[in-house]
Amino acid sequence: MPPAGIPPSRALPSKESGLFKEVLHYYEDRQLKKGLKTADVILKKFPNHGETLCMKGLILTHLGRRDEGLDFVKQGVRLDLTSHICWHVFGLIQKGQKNYEEALKSYTQALRFDKENMNILRDAAHLQTQLRQYDHLVETRHTLLRLRPQLRQNWIALAVAYHLSGNLTEAKAVLEQYERIIKNVPDYDVEFSEILLYHVRVLEDLGDYTEAIALLDASAKERTIIDRVAIMEFRARILSKAGKDEAKQAWQGLIEQNPDCYDYYKGFLSSRGIDIDAVTDENRSKAVQSLHDFSEQFSKASAPRRLALDIALGDEFKGLLEPFLRTRLEKGVPSLFADLKSLYRSPEKREIIEQTATSILSTLAHPSTDPAPSETDPTEYIWTLYFLAQHHSWLGRHKQALELLDEAITHTPTLPELYMFKARVLKRAGDPFGAAKCMDLARTLDLQDRFLNTKCGKYRLRAGLIEEAVEVFGLFTKKDAPSPSQDLEDMQSLGYLTEEADAHLRNGNLAMALKKYDAIFKVFDIFEDDQFDFHGYSVRKFTINIYLNLIQWEDKLRSHPAYVHSAIEASRILVKVHDEPSIAAKSNGESHLSSAEKKAKKKAKKAEKKVQEEAKKASNAGNEDKGLEVTPPKDEDPDGTKSLQAPDPLERAAKVLKPLATQAKDNVEAWIAIYDVAIRRKKYLQAIHALNSAHSLDADSPELHIRVVDFKRRWSSLEEKPSEAVVTAASAAITKLLPDEVSLEVFNSQYLQQHSSRADAILAAAKVSRLLGAPRDEVEASVFNVLNAEVDLKLETALASVAFLNEIQSPRADEFREAARGKFELSTLFLSADELAAARKAVIQKDPVAEALEEKAEVIS
Amino acid sequence: MVNIRLARVYDLTGMQACNLHNLPENYTLKYYMYHSLTWPQLSYVAEDEGKIVGYILAKMEEDVPEGEEPHGHVTSISVLRSYRRLGLAKRLMIQSQEAMATVYKAAYVSLHVRKSNRAALGLYRDTLGFTVKDIEKGYYADGEDAYAMRLSLKHLAR
Repeated sequence: MPPAGIPPSRALPSKESGLFKEVLHYYEDRQLKKGLKTADVILKKFPNHGETLCMKGLILTHLGRRDEGLDFVKQGVRLDLTSHICWHVFGLIQKGQKNYEEALKSYTQALRFDKENMNILRDAAHLQTQLRQYDHLVETRHTLLRLRPQLRQNWIALAVAYHLSGNLTEAKAVLEQYERIIKNVPDYDVEFSEILLYHVRVLEDLGDYTEAIALLDASAKERTIIDRVAIMEFRARILSKAGKDEAKQAWQGLIEQNPDCYDYYKGFLSSRGIDIDAVTDENRSKAVQSLHDFSEQFSKASAPRRLALDIALGDEFKGLLEPFLRTRLEKGVPSLFADLKSLYRSPEKREIIEQTATSILSTLAHPSTDPAPSETDPTEYIWTLYFLAQHHSWLGRHKQALELLDEAITHTPTLPELYMFKARVLKRAGDPFGAAKCMDLARTLDLQDRFLNTKCGKYRLRAGLIEEAVEVFGLFTKKDAPSPSQDLEDMQSLGYLTEEADAHLRNGNLAMALKKYDAIFKVFDIFEDDQFDFHGYSVRKFTINIYLNLIQWEDKLRSHPAYVHSAIEASRILVKVHDEPSIAAKSNGESHLSSAEKKAKKKAKKAEKKVQEEAKKASNAGNEDKGLEVTPPKDEDPDGTKSLQAPDPLERAAKVLKPLATQAKDNVEAWIAIYDVAIRRKKYLQAIHALNSAHSLDADSPELHIRVVDFKRRWSSLEEKPSEAVVTAASAAITKLLPDEVSLEVFNSQYLQQHSSRADAILAAAKVSRLLGAPRDEVEASVFNVLNAEVDLKLETALASVAFLNEIQSPRADEFREAARGKFELSTLFLSADELAAARKAVIQKDPVAEALEEKAEVIS
Repeated sequence: MVNIRLARVYDLTGMQACNLHNLPENYTLKYYMYHSLTWPQLSYVAEDEGKIVGYILAKMEEDVPEGEEPHGHVTSISVLRSYRRLGLAKRLMIQSQEAMATVYKAAYVSLHVRKSNRAALGLYRDTLGFTVKDIEKGYYADGEDAYAMRLSLKHLAR
């Protein structure tokens, strides 16, 4: 007779029941092979025993036989739907697949049949946190605390759950109770110190400043909070919020602790009634005086001196600037210009900086025929030239910048910074090939430096030399990685992945571009997943403040510029494929590979095979635990064509764009991308919302102009009408952007008139007239208007114009190219196809001098 | 302007990017998280208008044998080449060491450096005052030896 409450199908005779317990023990000790054997013994007699089937499935999964394992688990669950073990196992497997929603459902089932199982409750709490189900989390944490109040972390976990659910008052109450009952805290206990700091933060967030300061001061005095910097920062911040006079003293203390922290000066000045970001004429001299005093007190600190430059004006600014520049030029500080750049928002300061630097140079320069005056410091001379080159380049005076750099290079031909910046000037001026070559020179001057190497790779990518870029990156990637690209991807280099994706896109290889953007999305999925383990870890470690910051950061994860950029570009590719599916079919990676590329691919394949063989060898070790986490399958689509041809491009685009509606809502381009996908998915209200959002950010946006017309055209020629509610709402909204009584032609010419000196607007208007069916010669003529003298034409718009003329197969494309070439003298982007190929080739042709240098360096290393 | 402050969670991707740009030893983001969420007081960044231009990623040694003093360890420290000569590495190191000594009572701080990395060796020894304690054979994945270096923090004890 089975004990009461156990269904007959689950009950086992005492021998098998003992064996089942053994299976559980073997599993816990990770003696997987033995566990599997024992499970099989039970199953021989009781092939339908659900719990044993589940355990067998679980063990098989750990042994790497995932598919088989999953089948057993599913079968087991079906055969015993009321067993907490079956559901728990199913939940574990789903958690391993990172299918958190389904896993939580299984855990919830398991808890129905074993309400007080601590392991299941804890796992469920982690899943609820990951899924942001905070109300359920509070319940689970409550149960755990009720079951085990003697476990400290259960108290803290409940406070955190309340905090996350937005109930700070309850979080505070739990902490207070915890602190009342906790006994025997050792002296200098870091964990307790962190809890008290968390308590102070809760009070601060509740606005209970007096109580917060009281707890902070008492704990500091008793030395129960031992993090000195945290005590000082919390104190200064809370005192400032409470408007207390002691705040000044507190900020002063922090400055003494770290005189290079901007926030501390900001706090100090604000305690004296000065808003550092909005200094008035009344308090300006008081602010400068304060910063001057700090400069005297901390002779090595840069922050107070630099901040004074933000605030001071006119002669006072000039007086402070001179010594600031001079000491840094003498020392050869390469970041000097980057440091001062933000001052350029003021034309007056920009002018003074130019005058001062130029006059410093005139005291250092001498005719090259004369011997150098003995007192002239060559370091200062070089770095002043370098600074001024940056200055001029920033203001778009590329030629002047190049002259200064060439002068410096003639003087000191071995300083990588000079070539690095020359490369940058060339890049800005539209010569990616010259830039890449120059960056390569910089690299060869210090082959041990990964910084220079990375720059060189990046510049090669900008010049479209992808294979050559990967080769140079490979000088610093792990030698045992399958390929340099794989190493950089595994190390989550967003910078590399973005640059390579963009390079493929510029080269017209949509498949590879999309593949690399997809790799970026995967990195963000991993980042999102990374928090999972900390839901348990942080409450055990008691580092709650930083854990809560982690949760906040994760909630905004996809506002990262790399994600936003990739989502927009990937969606554009997918929209293109949707509009013209033949692009995907055409894009066959192999056909346009060069022989060198094919060779490299073969090599990569070989390396991959080797890695797989080694992995196989390792897996034959037998009892080895592979864990529950699914390892990524091998790359079945090395050139990205399968992915590009995959069905539902619009659904994929919508998925990657989804986070942008909340996390990049100040980005016009994001809204345009959202529109382009929504309108094609027939989500009219979403499309209208995107247009309105873009409009409120930048009503004059050329891309928006094109979309407004696009919407109107599609809307008026709809075959299937959406529901009445949608029609009413959308019609009302579109009228605000484009009044009914205005024809599209008039709307377009009005837009053009309003923005007749904006090149990007001229191009947009030309695109719209093409859309409206204007004859090609008329469209061409309007594109040519971007070349007019009164129009401010940027390099990007000129390139976009060429691309558009090519798109409409304009016979005047070459004529435009030649004219643009005249306008951008230093640029190589408007060369003819043959010339371009030659320029690209020249980048990798080795300079004999550089080659000799490289060889020498290799011998040394 | 360059700002020196405690590393926050939203700095971690910037620290990772800085590390990848500069150094051959790289880590996934979770390793940065692990440092920051275990010892939130020890890692610092140098930031210029939101961009991370230098960082120190530090921890306390976890497996200290019974009877030995606790000590800190620098997992990685780096400053972008374009931000050299500002003394950033030293400033970052000083802040981290203070925290190691005051919060965790670290007696000393240790770090590893590639035997071939003369520039870094110079920084640690001459600028920061570390001494070579030992040579660890084949410490790095590619088989290169490491100098194990140390700096006493006794003067910071309070």
